Amino acid sequence: MRASWLLFLATLMASTFAFGQNKQLLYDFSEIPQSLLINPATDVDFNWYTGIPALSGVSFYAGSSGVSAYDLLANDGVDINTKIREKLLRGMRINDELSGTVQMDILNFGWRGKNADYFYSAGAYIEADAIGYWFKDYATLAFDGNADTFRKFDLSHLKTRGSIVSVYHFGANKRISDELMIGARAKIYSGILDINSTKNEGFLQNTQGNNNLIRTTLEAELEMRTSGLNELRAAESEDLAGLITKRALFGGDLGVGIDVGMTYHINDQTVFTASLLDIGLMYHSSDPKNWTITGSASSEGVEIILPGALIDPDQDFYQELIDNIENLAPFDENLDSYLTFRPTKLNASWRYNFGEQVERTIDCNCGPYASGNNPPPKYVNAIGAQLYAINRPRGPQTALTAFYYRRFGNVGALKTTYTVDKFSRSNIGIGANIHAGPVNLYFMADNLLALRNVVDSQYASFQLGLNIISWDKK
Amino acid sequence: MRRLSIFYSFLFAVATVISFSSCMESIDTSQIDDIDIAPAVEASLFYFESSEEIVNNDTGNTVYQNDFNFEAFSTEFFSERVIEGSITYVITNTTSKEFEYTIDFLDDAGMVLDSEFFSIQPAPSTVLRREIAYGPAGRDLDIIRNLSSIRVSAINLSGTTSTSSETDPKIILQSSGNFRVRLR
Repeated sequence: MRASWLLFLATLMASTFAFGQNKQLLYDFSEIPQSLLINPATDVDFNWYTGIPALSGVSFYAGSSGVSAYDLLANDGVDINTKIREKLLRGMRINDELSGTVQMDILNFGWRGKNADYFYSAGAYIEADAIGYWFKDYATLAFDGNADTFRKFDLSHLKTRGSIVSVYHFGANKRISDELMIGARAKIYSGILDINSTKNEGFLQNTQGNNNLIRTTLEAELEMRTSGLNELRAAESEDLAGLITKRALFGGDLGVGIDVGMTYHINDQTVFTASLLDIGLMYHSSDPKNWTITGSASSEGVEIILPGALIDPDQDFYQELIDNIENLAPFDENLDSYLTFRPTKLNASWRYNFGEQVERTIDCNCGPYASGNNPPPKYVNAIGAQLYAINRPRGPQTALTAFYYRRFGNVGALKTTYTVDKFSRSNIGIGANIHAGPVNLYFMADNLLALRNVVDSQYASFQLGLNIISWDKK
Repeated sequence: MRRLSIFYSFLFAVATVISFSSCMESIDTSQIDDIDIAPAVEASLFYFESSEEIVNNDTGNTVYQNDFNFEAFSTEFFSERVIEGSITYVITNTTSKEFEYTIDFLDDAGMVLDSEFFSIQPAPSTVLRREIAYGPAGRDLDIIRNLSSIRVSAINLSGTTSTSSETDPKIILQSSGNFRVRLR
């Protein structure tokens, strides 16, 4: 139990150093190759690039929209049980969430095609993603119980989902015209672990009894689905790495998905971009195990009503009651395969470029007598706005970002963002990209104002990556 | 070269501001050990009902006596976690009879752990309500922890000829339990 609380609080604290599913700093940061993973139609200038394995793109995110670790663990002399009641039980709403994502590139590389209008990229990454909404009525039931109240405890408050997948991808983009680039990325998901319980309904309630003092009613349609959990739990520690590797290499659940994106230059200085990521699904058939409670049962305790109760003196009223409840709302296990949809994300941006023009390094086969398209110029400065949305179990979650972007010749660039979302209304972030010869290093930090008290942060991010890039023209 | 210099100067300035402005207020993770989760759960326990007609049809004065299995409290999950609670009895008598009710709590060897006696007057009489506490402020909690079966004894003290003027006269025993269990 202590471990569970430590994990819960550690996740709250980890939000201090978190990187969101919303990668607003990286989005459309076209000097960084990993921006292609957020919009396959990002207008990059590279001839080729390769990420340093395990260092090219590591992101970690954890966030809590309702409470911070400091709220609960502050050394303020207030009893922690009082703080739990005030901050968690009374303070948090069912839409508040505790969520986290870890993503790590295994391989990431890209190259420009013989036709310079095309750019290809491919690779593999591992992603662990989990979200749990605040299970308010379950927590209230656990802390306060159902005594002395006729409150209806809503069982739909349990909504959680988590998965670990390895993703193999290949993407391409094409400059269709001087103004328009489109891109797409095909993905194959190899599922390592999936746990979800998102379609729960029902309630538990005490009411005035018809015969006895209290009538307790359970109406439930609860389901917890898992795949991979059994194998991972059963594996000995020395076999665990091998099992994870096997499931990551198509030995687990399989799925397919696609990313699509576009970059459209409205004019020389104004650009609109958009992408839809992870339009995909997974079929969980490798090691499914599911638990359900479905049905409706009411109880007013053991009932002895004469003369019926006199017929059989050995009648086991208690066992009959238990059997009756179990028949009406049975707890079952099954091994049924199931389908899940990946959490689809939408990104869009509007950008206005201004200031001095920057020489583009792209090998574009362009110019007055070339057959290729002419990429629009790049500028030293840009301002703009970005929209982000992700499909979550309780509906889309959105964020709005305003940004300023500044290039320093071809040696580096900075991007600073202000983001408003359910986690924070004061999220200021900064990202820096540095080129030292062929070496590209980027560094991004989010929610900088929270650094004034890092344990009081509910959301933040930190990310760095290392790539080798070539702009050499053929 | 000048751009490079400006760029690195800016990066250095940002890093410096972040380094000097960031801090961590004091927190105390040992508070986790003080988290107390002890909900109070409440439900009906058992219900007994007999009509006056049944009582009058019985030739003896013992209306009912039987032991019935009741293992809800002796399950490991409950018995190891229960810390206090109470059982409430409500008896409503609309018959013309005077009754004596005894509720015995028995362990799995059939030994009586606890008894509750009720003397019930004939109608018109007030509803009899009694709450028995268990735990620090009441009877020994081991009674609850070791409860395996319940014996209900109902004795009629008024013969089998009288009848009540009430509609559908009955003797009814209702009961519920309200217990706190420590989950952590």
